[in-house]
Amino acid sequence: MQLYLPIAEIPVNIFMIFGMGGAVGFLSGLFGIGGGFLLTPLLIFSGIPPAVAVATVTTQVTASSTSAVLTYWRRKAIDFKLGTMLLVGGISGSIVGVFLFEVLQNLGQLDLVISLSYVTFLGTIGTLMLFESLRAMRRRRSGGAARIRRPGQHNWIHGLPFKMRFRQSKLYVSVIPVLFLGATIGFLGTILGIGGGFMMVPALIYLLRVPTNVVIGTSLLQILFTMATATVLHSIGTQTVDIVLALTLMIGGVIGAQFGARMGQNLRGDQLRLLLALLVLLVGLRFAVDLLLTPTDFYSIAIMGGAGS
Amino acid sequence: MTACTRLSTRWLKPCLGLLLGLFLLGGEGRAEELVTALSSDVVSIQSNFTGTEIVIFGQIGMDPQTLSRPGRYDIIIKVVGPDQQITTRRKGRFLGVWVNRDYETFVAVPSFYSLASTGRVGELGGRELLDAHALGLNHLNLPVSGSSHVPLSERDDFREAFLRLRTEQGLYAERPESIEFLTNTMFRTTVPLPANIPVGKYSIQGFLIQDGVLLSRTEQELAVAKIGFEQVTYNLARHHPLVYGVLAVILATVTGWLAGVIFRKD
Repeated sequence: MQLYLPIAEIPVNIFMIFGMGGAVGFLSGLFGIGGGFLLTPLLIFSGIPPAVAVATVTTQVTASSTSAVLTYWRRKAIDFKLGTMLLVGGISGSIVGVFLFEVLQNLGQLDLVISLSYVTFLGTIGTLMLFESLRAMRRRRSGGAARIRRPGQHNWIHGLPFKMRFRQSKLYVSVIPVLFLGATIGFLGTILGIGGGFMMVPALIYLLRVPTNVVIGTSLLQILFTMATATVLHSIGTQTVDIVLALTLMIGGVIGAQFGARMGQNLRGDQLRLLLALLVLLVGLRFAVDLLLTPTDFYSIAIMGGAGS
Repeated sequence: MTACTRLSTRWLKPCLGLLLGLFLLGGEGRAEELVTALSSDVVSIQSNFTGTEIVIFGQIGMDPQTLSRPGRYDIIIKVVGPDQQITTRRKGRFLGVWVNRDYETFVAVPSFYSLASTGRVGELGGRELLDAHALGLNHLNLPVSGSSHVPLSERDDFREAFLRLRTEQGLYAERPESIEFLTNTMFRTTVPLPANIPVGKYSIQGFLIQDGVLLSRTEQELAVAKIGFEQVTYNLARHHPLVYGVLAVILATVTGWLAGVIFRKD
């Protein structure tokens, strides 16, 4: 069934979009990720204009993180103070992101920046995750105990000034890396149409030493509010949020996530991380191929003004 | 007028209008007069819109006192959409990566252009006539912006690429021999409008040509507009973006919350 999208101004097959939302929702439930980094490329590859895909996925991520935040809230697994500080950074990053998004769109370099960023970030995170999960699997096989991280361990980040106490995370760290981290994720999320959980969670664990029991809930809280802000900012700035597309993706996504979550309980953590790492690398590779291969058509056109711009 | 009776009632009104027009024309002094009518003067875009087509009827009105000239009459029907500013970019290699490098901006080009004719448009008239009325893709005036850095020798490449890409998108078309004569003087043509047409005022122009001489021309307006939910959503997004954005967030959080309530396990 074809459905005309009022903002994207093209008709799409609604079942295909619903299926994409469902498939990404399934993976996000399985791996405990937002899935923006999969959904945005899928939409772009299926012919949705990149600007619409990015802006609309921010809305979709808002929906999927809402239900997850509620779950973690009930379990009291959110550090609200840390989340708020991350959010302060996140919103400023998001504002810069929307501004740059418009500039790049006008310069005709938006697609390039999106592709390059995907290659860089997905490539790096994917490789790190791949090695980490392989190490964990080998360790488990050889029977050795995993290295236990003690809360007292320090790195250079803990030497920075403007320290703040986060009771629930049992942390006493400088706000500078917290704000910086929030801003980076907010910025990338707005430009790339991703929640950024797959970057935020490792950063919180490895850099700030946030305990694992609050890390996902707190990261989700920051994602929820950053993506909600990004939705509003994209609506005002780029005007490319398509509410019909977003709703279709959301409904597919929340249903798929339920099945994914159930299946995820039957898989071991390191297996899940290995699969996720391969998935992340695959998406990164797909973008890299497009950048490196000689294009079939050297020319492209973009409407800059007048009717339908 | 067998054509009128054969056509569905949908076309009846324009057909009748056409006949009326022909009667009124009878007293005019000119030998030939072109009259055209549209199947509909509004195209509405709704949620089920996947493109449509408009039918254009026409009649070559002839003064009964003058004998019809020897030779054949040629008809060109041009449908033009509202103007757009379009940038054409060319990829080049930069540090091993393919990026958009050179570009050319066309400042006032039609968003939609479809040309139906009785023969190949290049053979219907001289260059001057075709250029003057922008008849044919090769005769379209594509003004470029003053800030162009493309060397003159490469400008034609950008022009060609632009026309080719627009044609691939279905927004530009040249369709020779797509006008069907129902009688000696009455004709009909169908112009497909793809799903990606922009909204706005379209102009439909008819040209009656004989031996390279323009005998008569007509012009009508066609409105392409979103209606209903599509229009409300579009207007909200354009004119009240803050409200639209907040609504999108509310929609997202309510959907997320509902999903949490429905699928809650504990």
